[in-house]
This record gives sequence, structure tokens and C-alpha cells, in this order.
Amino acid sequence: MNALLIVCGLGFISLVAEIINLKKGLHIAIVLGLVVAVAAVIGDWNTSATFFNNMLIFDPFSVAFTCLIIVVGIFWFCLTSPFFIGESHQTDRTALIIFTMVGGIMMVSFHNMAILFLGIEILSISLYVLAGSHKESFFSNEAAFKYFIMGSFATGFLLMGIALVYGATGSFDTSEITMHIEGHKAGLPGFFYVGILLMLVGLAFKISVVPFHFWAPDVYAGSPTMITAFMSTVVKIAAVGAFYKIFGLCFFSVQMSVLPIIQGIIILTLLVANIIAVYQNNVKRMLAYSSIAHVGYMLLGFISGSVKFEGILFFYLASYATTSLIAFGILYAIENAKGSTSIDAVKGLYNQNPFAATCMTIALLSLAGIPPFAGFFSKYLIFGSAIEADHIMLVIVAVVTSLVGVYYYFKPIIYMFSPAQASDKLYLSAVQKAFLGMLTAAALLLGLLPEWIITILS
Amino acid sequence: MITNLFYFLSFVAVLSALMVVFSRNPVYSVLYLIITFFAIAGHYVLMQAEFLAVVHVIVYAGAIMVLFLYVIMLLNLNRESEPHKSNILKFAAAICSGLLLVVLVGSLRGTELLKHSEAGEVSSTMGGVKNLGKVLFTDFLFPFEIASVLLLAAMVGVVMLAKAEKKTNL
Repeated sequence: MNALLIVCGLGFISLVAEIINLKKGLHIAIVLGLVVAVAAVIGDWNTSATFFNNMLIFDPFSVAFTCLIIVVGIFWFCLTSPFFIGESHQTDRTALIIFTMVGGIMMVSFHNMAILFLGIEILSISLYVLAGSHKESFFSNEAAFKYFIMGSFATGFLLMGIALVYGATGSFDTSEITMHIEGHKAGLPGFFYVGILLMLVGLAFKISVVPFHFWAPDVYAGSPTMITAFMSTVVKIAAVGAFYKIFGLCFFSVQMSVLPIIQGIIILTLLVANIIAVYQNNVKRMLAYSSIAHVGYMLLGFISGSVKFEGILFFYLASYATTSLIAFGILYAIENAKGSTSIDAVKGLYNQNPFAATCMTIALLSLAGIPPFAGFFSKYLIFGSAIEADHIMLVIVAVVTSLVGVYYYFKPIIYMFSPAQASDKLYLSAVQKAFLGMLTAAALLLGLLPEWIITILS
Repeated sequence: MITNLFYFLSFVAVLSALMVVFSRNPVYSVLYLIITFFAIAGHYVLMQAEFLAVVHVIVYAGAIMVLFLYVIMLLNLNRESEPHKSNILKFAAAICSGLLLVVLVGSLRGTELLKHSEAGEVSSTMGGVKNLGKVLFTDFLFPFEIASVLLLAAMVGVVMLAKAEKKTNL
């Protein structure tokens, strides 16, 4: 709970820093503030208290996800100092990123639909602007506009869904809704199910699964690279967390009614995202499709209804966020040096900077699901729990598509290790090197000791 | 009396909503949209939600509509500059929105179930200003306060996008 207030406060501090001209130390101050917030949120562990008349709940699930959001945020801030320092609007950008995290924390700790809605809106509105924060770039403008139009459209669906669910159950409170559903299983009106359906559409937009993914590749490819990294890590954690809290916990007893739709979404997501990713010549766009595909795998675990799913989901998101942060961090350095993120830009990376190439290789191998990296165990656990729940067909589709995935993840790796024509060195600052090294070590450690993370939540 | 008023307001709302879609001139569309909003505000009053009715008129018919008119005038929309949409796209859009309409209308058939459940019980003063204010500052205090972060984020974003970049010294 205090973590949310601290993060909110950091946003205000960064805005005030503009007025009183304290821009120099702002970046470090924000990182330190976030560290304090992590300490505060760990202090809430095992208290399971609700706050503000049952508006927010900080149970182990919320605490773990809040912690993950802030920790990933800290790493993100440390990797992206060039995006802020020396740029115009440094304080505004910092404040918007912080507000996005506020929205994300609300999305994983809500206990009331009003908070879910406000959280999604705070997160989205800050992101619309951040996607367009390279004002002179045409693609950045396009990304912001597309994201804005699509996102507000999806919000409309979500809001209509919440209204219909409220009409049928008479409450915004998630546990009261659950209780009402349990008590009136036979007599729920038809529009309750339509409400669930509309909420599914709205949230599916936010987690960007096929067929609600059309905005994602353009937005991911057009936004500034580090904003893309933020979207595919922090925002994804928040959105998937909110999706689970709604459909896994609040609507648990009527989950069967949306199950066929979610199964269809999973098959479509896995097939479409993985196959289109093969044809991409831009690493950033390829990673965008890969992030869509990874949500498909997460949903596969979701429908298996395993009791350990909370832990597995947490582990999956932690390993995915770690590895994609490495990949985007190196891509960002490449983009700064060569002005492009196409597959030709990564050519000969091993000769230019062996450290970056090694980190990138480990990240891509982990995303592809090659043992012994984190990505392998997250996929393995998901497939295992889906088989236990007798979703054999879905698992076959998932295994085949992740083999397709191996192909497109290896493409940049092969380019990286092939000799380059121009042999200019790629420069990484000491801070970037240190944090990339830490993230790579984390990707290895998560792969070797997955039980550490999974048992936190189960 | 109230029933007649309901039918009158509904008729006006549906008719003007259709005119929004069918009128050729975008400025007329916006003006018809204002009429639609007023008719819906009338419905709120019939349901004893005075506060919602007033806010609806101020926010939608007032602020949003002025914004719409400005945008239309600034963009200078006319038929020549209208982007061409393919027939397949129009067809798909019509089917999708038609299906959504069918689902929404069909779903409202279950409403009679609510009359007998506690969720359907609504006191007549529920939408009043007094009640709303009380709820907003007690139960829903946190959403009310955190909405300020939302507004602040939107404001910072607008300033950031609209402010001219400082020219770099050459």
C-alpha cells in the first residue's frame, strides 16, 4: 500500500524538479525512490489487508506483482538513462513513466472495478503520450495515434462490460461479485454474460492477443525503443495480472462460459503471432510479435486451472520481463549507434561488442525456450499444467509454434555471429554493462532455480 | 405522463442519432449529436439521476461538442478529402457492428429477472446529488483522489506533446 503512495509521490517530485531546476540528480533520485518502494511493498508481505473501504487489496499475489513491476521498472530506468538525461522534457517523461507504474500497480491490486478502470486509464493515457515522445519521427506519431484510437475503443468495451456486470450483480466490489455469482448460479441474467464477454474483449485488447492484436506490431515498432521495452515488460505484467485477477479469481465460477473463447484466442494467438514473426526483417517488430505469442503461452497456463498457476504465471512473467529487457536494452544501444533496428544492424555484433552479443544470445535463447535458461522452464511448467488439465490439442499447437519460434529467434543470433563489413565498435556505458550483466545472470539463475520464484506464490 | 415523456425522449434520441450517421455535412452531424445528448439527459432526469443529467449536459453537450466542432472546422473536412474505404471493409464493419447490436439487444431480455433480486432494488434517491456526494467522499474516496493522477498525467502529456521543441544550437 505504501509503495503505491511512494511511487505516486515520485511522479509529483519529478514534475516539481522541473520547476525548481533539480534535473541533475533526478534520475538517481527516482531509482532510489523506487528501491524504497520495493522495500515498502515487501513489508506488506503476508498482511493481506484491504485499504480505503475495500478499494485495494494487498494479498501475496498483489504484493508479488507490485514488487515485480517496480523491480523491472528500476532495471528499466538504469538501462535508459540516455532516453532521459540531456533530452528535452526529461521531467515530463520521467513523470509519465512513473504514472504508468502507478496505473500498473493499481491494476494488479484492485479490489473494485472502479480501481481497475482508473488503473487501466492512468496506464494507457501515459503510454499514448510516451509512444509519441519522439515528436519528429513519423512512425512515433503514427504509433501514438494508433494506440490512442484503439486503446480508447477497447476501454469503451471494458467500461460497457463493467456496467453490465454491475447491473446484474449490483456491486463493483470483486469479492461481492464473486459471492453474488456463487449465490445465483441459475438465475444470472443474459446480460451478465454479455458483460463478461465485453470485459474479455476490452482486456484482450490490453494484453494484445489475436484477434485483438492489430495495434500491437505498429505501436511496438513505431514507439521509441525503450518505451517498447517498457510496454512489453511492465505494462504486460500489469495487464496479464489484471486479466488473471478478473477471469481467474473474480469470475472463477463462471469461467466455463468464456473457456471456448479463450481457447480459440490461444490457438489463433500462437499460430498467427509465431508465423508472422518469421517474416519480419526488423528485430524490434519481431520482438513485438514474440511478445504477442508469449501472452498466448501464458493464457494456456491460465485455462489449465492449476492450483500452482499463480506461481507459474509469476515465474513466466519474471523470466519473460528479464529476457526481453536484455534484448530491448541491447537493441536500444544498437539503434543509438547505427540508427536502425533492422536485422542488418545486428550483423557482426559479436565482433563489435562480444559482451552485448553474448547477453543478446542468452536472451533470445531464453525467449525461444532453450534449456537451461529461464524461458525453457516457464514454458515447460505451462505445458505440464496444461497436459494435466487434458488440453492435449492446445499443447501440441503450442509445442509446434514454439518450434517455429526457435527459427525466428535464431535468425538474429546467426546474423550477430556472422562477420561484419564495417568494424566500428558498439559502445555500452558502465552502468548499462553492469545492469545487462545482472539481468543475464538473473535469466540464468531463474532457469537453474525456478522453484525459488514459483514457491513464493503457491 | 412519464411514460409519454419517455417515448417522446426515446423517439428524439433515436431519430437524432440516426441523423448523426446519415447527414452528409459533419457539422450537422455534430449538432444532431447535441440533440441526442440532451434527450439522453432527459432520460436521466426521468430516472431521478439529476446530477448525472447535469454533468452529462455540461461535459458532453458542452465541452466535448465544442471540441468536436473545432476539430471539424480545423480539419476542413469535405467530400473530396474523405479517405476512400473499400467495400469489403464497409461490409465487415456493418456485420461486426450489427452482431454487437444483436448481442446487446438480446442480452437485455434478461432484465425482468432483476425485479425479484436484491440487485434490482434501487431507491429513488440513489442518483441524487446528496447521496452521490456522500458516497464519493466516503466509500469511493480513493478512486476520487486517484482520478487526480489520471488528470495530471493527461495534462502533462498534452503539454509535452504541444510544447515546441527547443532548437538545438548549431
